[in-house]
Amino acid sequence: MDATDKGEIHIAGVNKVFGQGASAFHALTGIDLTIATGEFFTLLGPSGCGKTTLLRVIAGFEQPTSGSLRINGAEMAGLGPNRRPVNTVFQSYALFPHMTVAQNIGFGLKMLGKSRSEIEATTSDMLRLVRMEALAERRPSEISGGQQQRVALARALAPRPRVLLLDEPLSALDLKLRKEMQSELKRLQTETGITFVFVTHDQEEALTMSDRIAVMSAGRILQLGAPTDIYNAPVNRFVADFIGETNFLVLPVAQTGGAVARLTLPGGNCAEARLPEGMTPVTGTTVTAVIRPEQAAIVAPETGDLTARVESAVFFGTDTHLHLTLADGQPFVLRRQNRPDQQPPEPGAMLGLSLASGALRVLED
Amino acid sequence: MAEKSYSVRRIPGFGAVAVFTFAMLYLPIVILVLFSFNAGPSQSVWEGFSLHWYEAAFQNRQVRDVSIRSLWLAATAASIATVLATLAALGTTRGGRFPGQTIIYALINQPLMVPEIVTGIALLIFVAAIKVQTGYTGMGYLVMAHTAFCIPFAYLPIRARLETLDAALESAAADLYASPVQAFVHITLPLLVPGIVAGFMLGFVISLDTVVITEFVKSAGQDTLPTYMLGQLRRTVTPEMNAIATLFLALSLLIVTAFFLVTRTRGR
Ligand SMILES: Nc1ncnc2c1ncn2[C@@H]1O[C@H](COP(=O)(O)OP(=O)(O)O)[C@@H](O)[C@H]1O
Ligand SMILES: [Mg+2]
Repeated sequence: MDATDKGEIHIAGVNKVFGQGASAFHALTGIDLTIATGEFFTLLGPSGCGKTTLLRVIAGFEQPTSGSLRINGAEMAGLGPNRRPVNTVFQSYALFPHMTVAQNIGFGLKMLGKSRSEIEATTSDMLRLVRMEALAERRPSEISGGQQQRVALARALAPRPRVLLLDEPLSALDLKLRKEMQSELKRLQTETGITFVFVTHDQEEALTMSDRIAVMSAGRILQLGAPTDIYNAPVNRFVADFIGETNFLVLPVAQTGGAVARLTLPGGNCAEARLPEGMTPVTGTTVTAVIRPEQAAIVAPETGDLTARVESAVFFGTDTHLHLTLADGQPFVLRRQNRPDQQPPEPGAMLGLSLASGALRVLED
Repeated sequence: MAEKSYSVRRIPGFGAVAVFTFAMLYLPIVILVLFSFNAGPSQSVWEGFSLHWYEAAFQNRQVRDVSIRSLWLAATAASIATVLATLAALGTTRGGRFPGQTIIYALINQPLMVPEIVTGIALLIFVAAIKVQTGYTGMGYLVMAHTAFCIPFAYLPIRARLETLDAALESAAADLYASPVQAFVHITLPLLVPGIVAGFMLGFVISLDTVVITEFVKSAGQDTLPTYMLGQLRRTVTPEMNAIATLFLALSLLIVTAFFLVTRTRGR
């Protein structure tokens, strides 16, 4: 078995350029990716970063300008979408308006030339799977957005594809329905064991659902890893900023040694920060370090690592965001869980902050 | 309040102009229909109600012949035009942009812009030459001329329908293992039906109505209903003509109503 056969989807050196000459637009640049069988894989990035384009390349709606794409070991170059073992849940759902829910779900099997009895059996299985049995004879225009979403899912799952591609399938739903569908999708993925390639611009959705995430920006993959890796160890400023909320602190280096550096904090205390691989900053220069808002705790003033003044407090239900100013004027956001017996500190109050050990990380420039 | 001052209804004389316009449009037709039921032979003196002229029209062998020819010609020309217009609409909205697309679009719609009399004379000269060469004097010329004239009318509703059709539906079909032909048969075509029906009906009515082109192209004995009526009007005008015109009007109204209903209800 050679290396390219290990993954369900193997993408190597894929580029996609739209247009030619001066107006050429590089939608995808140097994409290398191996997605494992049965994985819930997410493409995450801001609008316009090339997520849909990559999905369309996998589905066969776009041909890559260069590079290779293998699915289950087979080279896909030149194969149309109708000849790939991949189904798509479209962002707009794209349900066939002149067919019933059941006919929509059975369409793929019909095109594959399956027998009528098999189509009926699978269709009713799928209807049960997405809990739409009662609405089988309705037209897409006669069901709600959330129900259309489930039909689109059932239609794509019915032919039992090896890979299911989902292009921002939940973005049109309201928050509550969206949360429901998130767990429903996760359940379906676990039950069917089908490889999911899921596109979203919602970092929270990506973090909660995925086995692995590829963070994309401007047609490139910036970081690839498990949600905890990406959240805890963002490789650069873009990823740190895009995933969750982050404090960026510009700090002088006091001492370096191995994988950590001692940085001088505002107020004079020192703290250890992990260094990215291969980076050894010179003592005395400044670096950018990041720390998440929930990774600092309030302690009595003049104790802890930092001293900070409260500027404002914003209530978020489960927690409160305290906007603080450090001794040298750098801003710092602290997230504190709300409890009924605790009042948030008043603006102007001075606090001590204690940083969780290992929370501070130096970013590559 | 500000909106009201912009209302066209506030312009002095709006009511009078509206009434006058509608009168000019519909009064002659109302009178024509009315006198088709006149018992006497006059177009201006009412002599009592009668279906006499309808009976006369139905018994007139020539009227029957030209009516059948008109309907046959309209059905044939509209059918061919609808097929060609569907292909043209698919070609101009699917398969991406291609060089000369705008010119082709203009050429398809050419019969809408060129004066009918010019098309008529051009066809007369062209057809005459072919007739001399081949000796063929059948209905083919009329079918061809009417088809060409009907294409833009059939093309417009089909193209309009095709443009509102979500291209993602065809992508979804391809994604679900449909070949391009299957995607067309199972998805595009059924969704296009309202446009195609509308295109056919428009073409049918247009063909039924065309006088100038028919007049120039037809060979002896190929009168259609409109050219026959035109010929008759040069002689004495009896209410028999009114009766034929009224039936003609009823047929057109029926088709236009059907067209309206099809485009409205099948639209969703
Ligand atoms: N067919 C196309 N022709 C030209 N540019 C395109 C085409 N499709 C996408 N793009 C461009 O490629 C970029 C990435 O698009 P897309 O993959 O849809 O982004 P995302 O899904 O991440 O929002 C966008 O800037 C978009 O304008
Ligand atoms: Mg997109």
